[in-house]
Amino acid sequence: MTAAAIRFQPRLRPRPRSTELGLLVIASLTLLMGAISLGATERYLAASPKGVTLGALGFGPADPFGIGLYVGALFAVHAILVLAGRRLDQVLLPAAGLLGGIGLLLMQRLPQDLVSQQLGGLVLGLGRLQLLWLLVALTVITVLAVGVRGDRWLRSYKYTWAAVGIALLLLTFVFGSDTGGARLALTVGPFSGQPSELLKVILVVFLAGYLSENRSLLAEESLRLGPLRFPPLPYLAPMGAMWAIALGIVIVQRDLGAALLFFAVFLALLYTATGRASYVGWGIVLFLAGSWALYNLFPHVRIRVDNWIDPFRDPSGAGFQAVQALYAFGRGGILGVGLGNGLPTIGGHMPVPAVHTDYPLAALGEELGLVGLLAILGLYLVVVQRGLRIAASLHDDFRALLAAGLALVIGIQACIITAGNLKLIPLTGITLPFVSYGGSSLLANAIAVGLLLALSDRGPQPPPPPRRRLRLVRLGRRRGATA
Amino acid sequence: MDGYLITLWILRLLFLAMLYGFLFVVGRVLIRDLRAASRGPAEPGRLVVVASPRGEPQVGVSYPLDAITTLGRDLASGIVMDDPYASALHAVLTYRNRTWYIEDKASTNGTWVNGVAAAGPVELGFGDEVRVGEVVFRLDRGRS
Repeated sequence: MTAAAIRFQPRLRPRPRSTELGLLVIASLTLLMGAISLGATERYLAASPKGVTLGALGFGPADPFGIGLYVGALFAVHAILVLAGRRLDQVLLPAAGLLGGIGLLLMQRLPQDLVSQQLGGLVLGLGRLQLLWLLVALTVITVLAVGVRGDRWLRSYKYTWAAVGIALLLLTFVFGSDTGGARLALTVGPFSGQPSELLKVILVVFLAGYLSENRSLLAEESLRLGPLRFPPLPYLAPMGAMWAIALGIVIVQRDLGAALLFFAVFLALLYTATGRASYVGWGIVLFLAGSWALYNLFPHVRIRVDNWIDPFRDPSGAGFQAVQALYAFGRGGILGVGLGNGLPTIGGHMPVPAVHTDYPLAALGEELGLVGLLAILGLYLVVVQRGLRIAASLHDDFRALLAAGLALVIGIQACIITAGNLKLIPLTGITLPFVSYGGSSLLANAIAVGLLLALSDRGPQPPPPPRRRLRLVRLGRRRGATA
Repeated sequence: MDGYLITLWILRLLFLAMLYGFLFVVGRVLIRDLRAASRGPAEPGRLVVVASPRGEPQVGVSYPLDAITTLGRDLASGIVMDDPYASALHAVLTYRNRTWYIEDKASTNGTWVNGVAAAGPVELGFGDEVRVGEVVFRLDRGRS
């Protein structure tokens, strides 16, 4: 006889989500406008050397099938959420959907042969593959938002999840393939994925479970060494372990981005759980010490940092991407040159080879300008705000930490890659959430958004308390009165 | 200048403007949401009955808490417990510096937090389970 079995469960009826509908309409009109501007630009660029009259070109959207299918899918998700009748957050889906749509426009606009995959007899280019993955991601969001009710499968098995995460890391290390000097991708049959993307979600689940259980112990300061105070020693162990794992990822997998992301998320959640700024301070000290050691020990780290300090030392070699990205931002200026009007190729090859994964912001910065980039960063801010707001309204620590962690992991990842692209910090190869090309990245972020939606459930409207005995008494009294 | 190019230029700017339009509408929704949350009753927490072998209080009942709430058999307690294993003044819940503490008031059968006997004031997190007598409560965040 558990509490869950007794709890009153009313039948769910469809519940209108007018805010979400309104936002989705604006988002899809925006995407349509983007597609129209992209289509017109592409036709203009194709026609201008031939001297065709411009008026005959028309204003049809580029790839109406792709953008239409995506917008349709967004509304289908909305319809399913309405039918499910849960009181879920109404802002997350439009914000994430708009980011995904901007990513789709970008992928349709880049050279399609950048990535291609054969599925049956069909050869899919970059835009179509991204569309496919976006549809899968929307499905994942819907299933999680509608299906996830309890959190026991996450809460009780946190060590199992941690073991799964470490197993994924080890598998990638043993069987993984190298891309760009980093061992990131794991190939199973026809599919290849980047486990580190999924790992970030698993990490948040584990940290939320661990921190909510040991929160009060971690906030204590029982160990004193001179002027320094520490929490009880056994509870320092996970902090050390996290640091070691982050360093291990850098050394073994050469994945600087994932290591930075994991450590930053760990510190952010530690602060959220304990409210102690000193932990963050010590974490940063540890991080700086580790970074300094890695810089001196490993050449792949040194290349990144040297590139950051002065990419113009070797502008056609190691610094090529960084220099080209800076030029792209410069060409964009304040208002940008317009979608589809950037410089995708110079002399037949891409100026920024990893534009679809690591440097989507360079392309967006060139075509939408500073104004467009700020709007995109604003969308990430909205996602993070919603996550933290959901966390603040949740009733127990595990759920609150989970929601905060899922939102922060998206926000921190966006910050790291944005700062890397803009040469504020050394470039680390991670994706821009929802925008970058890649199935693993989209799936991992979809899981995060889906879980956030499920966590945001405010429950059925509080039913009147079931007091059968009282009601019987009252009915009896009434009967007595009327008789 | 060609009309087509001017239209194209306007379309591009319109796309950027619509991005900001979306952000503006979202911003209004968020502000409305925050206003509604700040208007709600300031309630530091709630105690929800998780297990109650005798059926009184009923499982699922939740008590809004004041900054200081006493639990016990005494009829003047904040939460009155009709439980033979509870003492007259059994335990006190206090809310200080945005943190909940529970203190056992030398009760006969003790106060248990997540299965551990509480000695002196013990910090409580939301979601922690407290056993007083035979009744198990869970501390939840206050409703907004």
